[in-house]
Amino acid sequence: MDNIRYDFEIEKDDFERAGEASSSIKKILRQLGLNSGIIRRVAIAAYEAEMNLVIHSNGGSIVIEIDPRKVTIFANDKGPGIKDVKLAMKEGYSTASDRIREMGFGAGMGLPNMKKCSDDFSIKSILKEGTFIVMKMFLKDGD
Amino acid sequence: MHSVVLKEERCIGCTSCLKVCPTEAIRVRNGKAKIIPERCIDCGECIRICPNHAKSVTTDDISIIKNFKYNIVIPSLTLYGQFPANIGIGKMLNAVKRIGFDEVAEAAMGARISVHLLRDYLLKKSDLKYPIINSSCPAVIRLIQVRFPDLLPNIIDLETPIEITARVAKSEAMKRTGLPYDDIGVVFITPCTARVTSVKNPLGIEKSYIDGVVSIREIYGDVVRNIDSVSNGNIGKSTKESLLWSIAGGQAEAVGIENCLEVDGISNVIKVLEEVELGKLDDIKFIECSACYGGCVGGPLLIQNPFIAKNRIMNYVKVAEKSIMSKEDLDRFINMYEEGFLRLTEKIEPKSVMSLDTDLIKSIHKMEMVTEILKNLPGLDCGVCGSPTCRAFAEDIVKGENSEALCIVKSMEYFKNKIT
Repeated sequence: MDNIRYDFEIEKDDFERAGEASSSIKKILRQLGLNSGIIRRVAIAAYEAEMNLVIHSNGGSIVIEIDPRKVTIFANDKGPGIKDVKLAMKEGYSTASDRIREMGFGAGMGLPNMKKCSDDFSIKSILKEGTFIVMKMFLKDGD
Repeated sequence: MHSVVLKEERCIGCTSCLKVCPTEAIRVRNGKAKIIPERCIDCGECIRICPNHAKSVTTDDISIIKNFKYNIVIPSLTLYGQFPANIGIGKMLNAVKRIGFDEVAEAAMGARISVHLLRDYLLKKSDLKYPIINSSCPAVIRLIQVRFPDLLPNIIDLETPIEITARVAKSEAMKRTGLPYDDIGVVFITPCTARVTSVKNPLGIEKSYIDGVVSIREIYGDVVRNIDSVSNGNIGKSTKESLLWSIAGGQAEAVGIENCLEVDGISNVIKVLEEVELGKLDDIKFIECSACYGGCVGGPLLIQNPFIAKNRIMNYVKVAEKSIMSKEDLDRFINMYEEGFLRLTEKIEPKSVMSLDTDLIKSIHKMEMVTEILKNLPGLDCGVCGSPTCRAFAEDIVKGENSEALCIVKSMEYFKNKIT
């Protein structure tokens, strides 16, 4: 098979390891020899997804899949789910607590930023069950 | 060309340097450290750590001055911290000059021009990419080239104070002496390994005006011997700003940039640049990166402890005058910048040295093999196999660069299992 897949488990409130998954993803893409532009987009999207899982979810996973045509990031969590996805996609909208904002997170840019970095972005959220995000970045000639 | 080299007879094949190399450019093979040239950024971390002094630097011999009719020496600004503060800058400069130079050009000149160009002109431009990254640390520039190619446009395209000093001093000497370019030698006395490389194999400019680079270590003895017999002279032109330049955070302070981030030590620089890459520091105006702890005063080729050196330089800062530049002078330097004389004119190209293969499908297959091999390695990153980490060991095997090495931990386990 011409594709490769990596799974990263993300735990709720694990600020100590937060960022490690996206950092590993970046290293993997660099070793695969991808263009720095697409590496940066994937790294930002993966980082935002990872932080979302740490801050807002009950834990979940980030999965990255690379094939000769595209990079795909799956961010799945175990809840609590987003009430109003449309609202959550708005820049600056955040449900983060003051404590989290004081730490420099929760600016309400996570989801919009993820969308901005992807060529194809889909989000599905079911209350109490979880949020499921798929982001695709297509490789062009030279990537 | 690299300035960092191995003195093979001194290397005992220990793993100290493997661990500190920020680009994983070292392997131990057949009991000796080997530097992978494409990866090395000449930061000098391995020189600093090597307990056997096997890592060294190739510099020019001072006898290079015989090739020229007129010789200018530029001592690094860090020189001032290498001697007790009561000696005085003038005495140090004269002591260096006496080694055999016709003229000493103070790096303070270039630092002053840099400070004014940045403060009064460059940072006011509208087409800048934030956060701006300083261009003054050659190891950081090479690090960005290898590990953060996306941040190359953030580097300010101003020449370093040393190169600026060399260019202005050489041009003025040509006018004054009537000698042609090739008859005037410029020698830089360096605290820095990466600077040696940037003279011999320049990045961002076509050719350096510096003809020779000699380490401070090498001339230190001569300076000590000369220092009692020279006068303090009237040649010190240091300003507060120029003195601050060699100390971490000093550039931003000299230029007076608000909302700036100062980071020193190459592993810290990597962490900060990773945040920049993620777009998390876009609100910061200027990032002053130094590969060495403490800034240039922490350079690998210096004698004095960086904290002591900093204290001494700060004593000079206290009494130094602030720099004032006339409108005419500033305009003259702006002109030189715009004409490309004081500017990085050549594009710095990204260097992809980390990839497993140039072909993506082959890369993916190799990556699968790396992952598979890694599952069978202990993950201790002990370095005994000669690669810095288990991961690097797996990569080396897949790339076919390490067919003989074996994992000692795994072998021990194997034998233990055989016995029991």
